[in-house]
Amino acid sequence: MKIAVCVKQVPDTWAEKKLRDDDSTLDREAADGVMNELDEYAVEEALRLAEANGGEVVVVTMGPERAAETVRKALSMGADAGVHLVDDSLHGSDALATSYALAEVLAARNFDLVIFGSESTDARMSVVPAMVAERLGLPQVTFAQKVDVDGSKVAIQRQTEYGYDDVEAELPAVVSVVEKINEPRYPSFKGIMAAKKKPVETLTVADAGLDAAKLGATAAWTKVASFAARPPKAAGTVVTDEGDGGAKIATYLTEQKFV
Amino acid sequence: MSMDFSIPAELTELRGAFADFLEREVRPLEQEYTREYWGPSLDPEAATPLISQVRRRSADAGFYAPYLPEAAGGHGLSVLGTTLLVEDAAASGMRLAMVAVAPPNPAGPSTLLLKLPAHLWSTYVLPVATGHQTMCFALSEPEAGSDAQSIRTQAVLDGDEWVINGTKHYITNGADANFAIVFAVTDAQKRAAGGITAFVVPREQYRVGQIQYNMSDSHPAELFFDNARVPADHVIGEVGMGFLEAMSFLNAGRAYIGAQALGLAEFCLTSAAEHTRSRTAFGKPLAKFQGVSFPLARSKVDIEAMRWLVYHLAWRVDTHQDALAIMGDASITKYATTEWAYEVADRALQAYGGMGLMREGPIERVLRHLRMLRVVEGASEVQLLVIARTLGL
Repeated sequence: MKIAVCVKQVPDTWAEKKLRDDDSTLDREAADGVMNELDEYAVEEALRLAEANGGEVVVVTMGPERAAETVRKALSMGADAGVHLVDDSLHGSDALATSYALAEVLAARNFDLVIFGSESTDARMSVVPAMVAERLGLPQVTFAQKVDVDGSKVAIQRQTEYGYDDVEAELPAVVSVVEKINEPRYPSFKGIMAAKKKPVETLTVADAGLDAAKLGATAAWTKVASFAARPPKAAGTVVTDEGDGGAKIATYLTEQKFV
Repeated sequence: MSMDFSIPAELTELRGAFADFLEREVRPLEQEYTREYWGPSLDPEAATPLISQVRRRSADAGFYAPYLPEAAGGHGLSVLGTTLLVEDAAASGMRLAMVAVAPPNPAGPSTLLLKLPAHLWSTYVLPVATGHQTMCFALSEPEAGSDAQSIRTQAVLDGDEWVINGTKHYITNGADANFAIVFAVTDAQKRAAGGITAFVVPREQYRVGQIQYNMSDSHPAELFFDNARVPADHVIGEVGMGFLEAMSFLNAGRAYIGAQALGLAEFCLTSAAEHTRSRTAFGKPLAKFQGVSFPLARSKVDIEAMRWLVYHLAWRVDTHQDALAIMGDASITKYATTEWAYEVADRALQAYGGMGLMREGPIERVLRHLRMLRVVEGASEVQLLVIARTLGL
């Protein structure tokens, strides 16, 4: 079985994120880059499926040069090979353009299963897995908290507000996973050393045969019109308890229409 | 030019993975259990199951005893790599992190165990490499501390078994260990020069005496060997060569002690700097008084000096075969790092004022531990003795 895991480098979850003044895109230089946390679960699930069923795990990313660190991390965890799409013309691509680029790269490589984290911590849209599946004409089984592959079928438990749905699809298919699914492993020293010898294919937009007109900020269907810094925290209201603190708080909550 | 101070990329990557492990898996346990186990009513034994849990989890994740070769359940990590992990664990400020890598805590697998015959590895090496068991290092005796070759514990060969008699004390992890590496006299004439042998002795062959409560958070114990018997193959290396075998691993041990002192010093300085930036007195942050900021600046100088002594020693152990040639560097590093780290912690405590004295504050425990490091594993004066010898004195 040939499994692709799509991963994204995002600014460190705990870092203060900001937008660039020149083009209103996320300032990726301002903070350390880390693998999107949910993508670690996706890598782990791919590795477990490959260990259980046999097969190869290829990690795929689109991003600036330093996103290669994220490919390397996945290889250190145990993935077999990497594909890194990197090109200045990709900068500013929206979800639709990203799904176009990823779908083309994936289509050229014939995977049985494509696994995504269900969202990225920077954009939080959760739409790329579905868009990629649609572009590839493949079934999408998303928000999986459990994945089983049996022959030509993939069965998942789709996490819902009330519990889960059992969903099945024929392979090839696109799956996105939630954090409930597993405990991602840490890259071990042995894994880190082994990763140095694993192949990473670095592609430009031209190498991947992509149409540059469909990529980047100018092709984006959405645009950040303007942005402003979060206003500084205002001083709170202090309620002094003189035996009537409870009543005062209740009055305040009523006035603010909280209750 | 062969001088290169850069840390190899793979070690930086490993540190990143270890940092994730500490934050995700150790920090929550540390926060949940700190009050219960390390609060004002100190009950160190109660924390034993928690410490075992962290040890095993770290072994599963690939960070425990990583310096062991793969055949012994390790990762073949260099002394420099292990040193960096020990430093990072200490710098995290978490008590539980200090057990996650193993050294310099003698509960973890000593590389001396690799000198056991191969058929004993499944009994004595793999269980400690995977964190399922722990060991202790039984050298000190009531009448032999720094002067280790004056030990009185004796071992006599009786048929195909060694019979060991004597008393060990101040043995870290003595009460909990599954077995002990025991140093005993096998030739009273030769002593250090071929008359002291290291044995591995399982727990059922010796008796644990008093727990010896000291100023640190982990309390050593007395061990009594009263006709303890071990098969003839339970010898580490050659009979009579216990001290020489131990010496060849001592240099790495000094690097790990130095790394722990360095990490703890970093933790103290980071904490104190943060405190003085946020704490206001006389109308401005403490950090704005030079009487407060200059001692912390001095600590920064000490820390950078410690760092390069430790990394350099680790690099020498990794790249030089001759253990004796490195002993001077090892002693310089052990002496300097433990003495300076103690001063760094003391200045940090002073910057915290009253809070620095509190059991619940961040510094008090570290200061106690660092005070201990100036005594154990070769007291500072023993290090000076070794350094003086390198000067021909």
